[in-house]
Amino acid sequence: MTLYLQSLKMHFKSLLEYKSSFIIGFLSQFLVFFTYYFIIIALFDKFDNVKGFTLYEVLLTFAIIQFGYAFNEVFARGIDKFDRLIINGSFDLLLLRPQKILLQVLCSEINYIKLSRLLQAIIVLIIAIVNLNLDWNIYKIITLILMLISSIIIFLAIFLLMASYCFLTVQGLEVRNVFTDGGKNLAQYPIGIFNKYFVIIFTFIIPYAFVNYYPLLFILGRLENKILIFSPLVVLLYLFISFKTFKWGMKKYTSTGS
Amino acid sequence: MSFINVENISKTFKVAQRKSGLKATLKSFFKRKYFYIEAVKNISFQIEKGDIVGYIGPNGAGKSTTIKMLSGILLPDQGKIEINNMIPALDRQKYVANIGVVFGQRSQLWWDLPALDSFDLLKNIYKLKDDQYQKTIQELIGLLELDNIVQIPVRQLSLGQRMRCEIAASLIHNPSILFLDEPTIGLDATSKQIVRNFIKRINKERKTTIILTTHDMNDIEALAKRIILIGKGQVLYDGTIKHLKQKYGNYCNVIVTTKNILKTTNKKGIISKEKITDGYIFKIDINQITVSEFLKYLATKVKVDDVEINNESIDDLIIKLYKEFEI
Repeated sequence: MTLYLQSLKMHFKSLLEYKSSFIIGFLSQFLVFFTYYFIIIALFDKFDNVKGFTLYEVLLTFAIIQFGYAFNEVFARGIDKFDRLIINGSFDLLLLRPQKILLQVLCSEINYIKLSRLLQAIIVLIIAIVNLNLDWNIYKIITLILMLISSIIIFLAIFLLMASYCFLTVQGLEVRNVFTDGGKNLAQYPIGIFNKYFVIIFTFIIPYAFVNYYPLLFILGRLENKILIFSPLVVLLYLFISFKTFKWGMKKYTSTGS
Repeated sequence: MSFINVENISKTFKVAQRKSGLKATLKSFFKRKYFYIEAVKNISFQIEKGDIVGYIGPNGAGKSTTIKMLSGILLPDQGKIEINNMIPALDRQKYVANIGVVFGQRSQLWWDLPALDSFDLLKNIYKLKDDQYQKTIQELIGLLELDNIVQIPVRQLSLGQRMRCEIAASLIHNPSILFLDEPTIGLDATSKQIVRNFIKRINKERKTTIILTTHDMNDIEALAKRIILIGKGQVLYDGTIKHLKQKYGNYCNVIVTTKNILKTTNKKGIISKEKITDGYIFKIDINQITVSEFLKYLATKVKVDDVEINNESIDDLIIKLYKEFEI
């Protein structure tokens, strides 16, 4: 942990070497990603609801997914850009250090510019919550917190899975985008608005539904079953599988080389 | 049992075959043909603690692959590596705490920060104690003449300065083995000298075992008594430089300036004769004829105005070896 904190500090120091570039990058990202939200607002300008979900309900799920994704883009950038580590040979250098590989990969890159996206997600989240007029109780607050955490975990798991793939083909390939960007874009909406095949895919293959659909129904009071509070924890299983896959890939790497 | 034991290791890589051109690239996207490259074939050697060994060979001979296997990055397909009673690729975390590696073409320093920051991070990576770290760092800074250099962001350093920082970084944890993969590549004479002296000193004072790959034969001559020559993935020669010279000829070039014309030379030990504008270049084998004997002989034939004697460099010797083994 101290190692990771020290890396955070060093990445920040590196960043300060290019101050203006950081500020411009931060602001432009901040503005660009607001277009995402504008699209939703424009959509709801025409329609009151989509399959029974209102504007602020959609913004809530949207913000939760963006939050988890942006969090990983900032703090787990090394895993996100793992193919680069393999291609330029930096991964070999990590193998020469007496530390856990995954920790070192995490330390290898921090993308502070994407903090803009994280900040944005938090702002939208707050706007959505304020406007939803829900009667909050302790269960719902716990559910919301678990949703945010599981959103972070699921993207970490997906990034890890994609990183494992790099061990085999060296390149991250576009398959990853089906999972991350494509999946994310769909999962930003309450999954119930899609047809049932998507619900099945997002329940059993990439468990986005456990992050922002089943618990959402509980928060909105549409389902009462208290077991849904803990439904986001399903993603831990997913993380475990991803982690094992990564380990397996690494073993493969040392025995085949690049 | 030696300190480093390498027994019959082999490593084969699978490489995608692809012809040039867009069409072929597209084709290979769907269907790839692979061929196999035997980077290392049946290499064995032993190295004792405290030795400096030069590991040489032409490009693509398998040097880097061997270094990667020795440093635990790759696992050999066949054979066994045992270093300090550990198997590098399998006991990775424990093993690498005790080695230092410098890849001349790859940096372990943070590009935008002063080297000192990178050293601090390494201190935590290797979990070093504060006082011990400070002592080592001061010593390294002194020996490698890095006083002001470590305060400057790495990207603003010259290549020689950066390389010295790299070497310091690889020794912060006082490793018992140091792998240097082309440490003097692209350096000027002064930097090379500092690096060489430093390597010698570290080896002497800390008894660090050093394995050095390089294309600069002066490095080898200055540092290593023993060389292992590999080509096409196999060991071609393993022994001292002195022995190599005796075995493959110890030649000397003698440039003689004279106005006279020399018709025949039939003395034993003269390998070749070449006419130049104002004299001749002789190549003699000093195992068979000493320079003074040769000059005495020459003086009986022509009037010698000037003489210049050059020892055949180890470069020439290596080229000869490459030719002999057809690599």
